[in-house]
Amino acid sequence: MLIVVTGGSGSGKSAYAEEQVMAFGERQRVYVATMFPFDEESHKRIERHRRMRAHKKFETLECYTGLARVKLSGTIQAYSAQEEHCPGNRRKTEKPVVLLECLSNLTANEMFQEGGAGENTVEAVLRGVLSLEEQAFALVVVTNEIFSEAALYEGDTRRYQNYLGKINQELARRADRAVEVVYGIPVKLKKDSERLCRLEALGGRRDEEILGEL
Amino acid sequence: MELIIGGAYQGKRALAEKLHPEIMWISGESCTMEELIRCQGVDGFQKVIRRELQEGRNPEALAQALIEKNPGIVLISEEVGYGVVPIDAFERSYREAVGRTCTRLASACTRVTRVICGIGTVIKDA
Repeated sequence: MLIVVTGGSGSGKSAYAEEQVMAFGERQRVYVATMFPFDEESHKRIERHRRMRAHKKFETLECYTGLARVKLSGTIQAYSAQEEHCPGNRRKTEKPVVLLECLSNLTANEMFQEGGAGENTVEAVLRGVLSLEEQAFALVVVTNEIFSEAALYEGDTRRYQNYLGKINQELARRADRAVEVVYGIPVKLKKDSERLCRLEALGGRRDEEILGEL
Repeated sequence: MELIIGGAYQGKRALAEKLHPEIMWISGESCTMEELIRCQGVDGFQKVIRRELQEGRNPEALAQALIEKNPGIVLISEEVGYGVVPIDAFERSYREAVGRTCTRLASACTRVTRVICGIGTVIKDA
């Protein structure tokens, strides 16, 4: 299950994406953070997002490059160990809901960081997203609209727009839901998939058997 | 409260005038805060946000003041957050502030219309 959330700067994408995660009900939640904290501003941004997520019970995983290597099983084991102290919770073997934020950072990291995928960035990011989706009950991905303005870019910046544009298109094509958030208002980019509609119709009964039937 | 948004030169003002022929629009480029609190409609609201930032004030406080003191206002604002993240720190904070301020205002709006090629699409109708 894949939900793609896009939008412009300061548009409320993250808040909407977090709501989408919470709508999957009581499950383990994993936040995959991609922003490399290289200066004060990025530290502040990270802090702001942490505050937004506080009380929503996310495990945070940091991943700057090589998303395809990330295994969620580690966080799931840690979660199960915790849950042993809470008998009655039968959900410890279930897959988590994952929030990946955001593809614009991940793409830039793969392109420009040492040890990143360089010219193979598009494939690396797509492979990483699909691997996460496989390990997750549902994956919510945040990306960014950086494509509409008067300025013309050359070289690396143009290539960055090209790569992220390709990634966004491919993921939105595969997504069960693709939404642009405009000043906090969700605008659907395509029809929700049938399996997502069925899942939502099932309401609180969202467990692995139901997903199997879908 | 109502918000009419869209990129540059998309016909936002023309659509706003059609929807609200009675309004005397003030300009976001030059209006004072007092005028903003008293007016029926402002065009170029993103310029108010820019001026607030230049004066070192928090535009989200302005959003709160408008919601409290002029809840019937119609705001025309240009979308500026759809480009590559600017290298210049002020430009970066400006586009983000436009996003956050308009997100705050949109939550208080009964209607939000987005204009592309002169055609308005109502994206919120509460």
